[in-house]
Amino acid sequence: MALRGLQNSTIASVDTARLLILRLGATYVALPAVGVQGILTRSEAADGQAVTAAGVVYPPVDLAGQFSLAPDFSGMEMRTVLYSTGRSQGAIPVEQVVGLADVERKDCFPLPPQFQRDERSWFGGMMLHQDQLVLILNPAWALGESDDAGAASIGLAGQMCGATSAASGGSC
Amino acid sequence: MWGNLGGKRWIMLRAARGQQQAQTAKRLWNLLVFSVDGLRLAARTEDVGGVSPWTESIPVPSRTPFVQAMMKRGDQVMAVYDLAARLNRRLQGQSFLCLVARQFDGPMAIRIDAELPTLETVDATAIRTDSSGQLETLGSVTIQGEDVTIVALQRLGRLSQHVALH
Repeated sequence: MALRGLQNSTIASVDTARLLILRLGATYVALPAVGVQGILTRSEAADGQAVTAAGVVYPPVDLAGQFSLAPDFSGMEMRTVLYSTGRSQGAIPVEQVVGLADVERKDCFPLPPQFQRDERSWFGGMMLHQDQLVLILNPAWALGESDDAGAASIGLAGQMCGATSAASGGSC
Repeated sequence: MWGNLGGKRWIMLRAARGQQQAQTAKRLWNLLVFSVDGLRLAARTEDVGGVSPWTESIPVPSRTPFVQAMMKRGDQVMAVYDLAARLNRRLQGQSFLCLVARQFDGPMAIRIDAELPTLETVDATAIRTDSSGQLETLGSVTIQGEDVTIVALQRLGRLSQHVALH
């Protein structure tokens, strides 16, 4: 009984990932929740400034700028997500923290192959959450790690999509 | 004996007729004629996955030229190709249609004018080579006195990649 339970939990950990869903304008993105170190309100984090929490410095990450988006950070739901990949840290301002979602491998898909440029390294894949398209961010890329590091630490989301893409003939 | 011979002749006639039909079919192209901001274009019907009302597309941060959105149709999510932008056109109006291009990599949505596309059958010999090199085409053909470019939907997006890279 215990062994069966252990086996199930092992499978679950490989086949599912907990993602934090964020909104930037009309674009929804998700980060593996395992790297989230904190979520700050506007009053707790100054605009465009590094944040120091528990002795760790989180440099500002202009995700919206990197995506050429123009989000409105003046809303009440604006938050700053403190994120760490283990190698790098960053403070990411977002318009809204939508929530957490446990995503199964089968529900994660690679970007359509017609997307052929840098965006393939920005996103490990995509999923539908409450009928909304959510792009799964590569955290290493988001925090400005090198391409090699990005490929190595694209994370569970990327691994999940890799498996899905292999099944569907695409690449993630 | 005669009956067998007659049977053979009939089979030969049938085979010849089938070959003729196949050759005629090969010579004829079935085209779907549609428009983008009033510009009439065509595509081979076998390259078209369907035409449906346009639903809102979802913007996706992207550096791929003309591929900066996705569209959800049921459980399927497909890339959107901005053919109007590629042609330096701007779609106007409130309602549009979605033309689904069949590509080797998977379907791709294209926003076109709301004017219902029509079906035309043209002789392959009437198709002229298009040498403008500005768009992936299979040539052009005159339909109702108008020059219509036949868009190579299967290859659409590949040339722009190439051009953008060099």
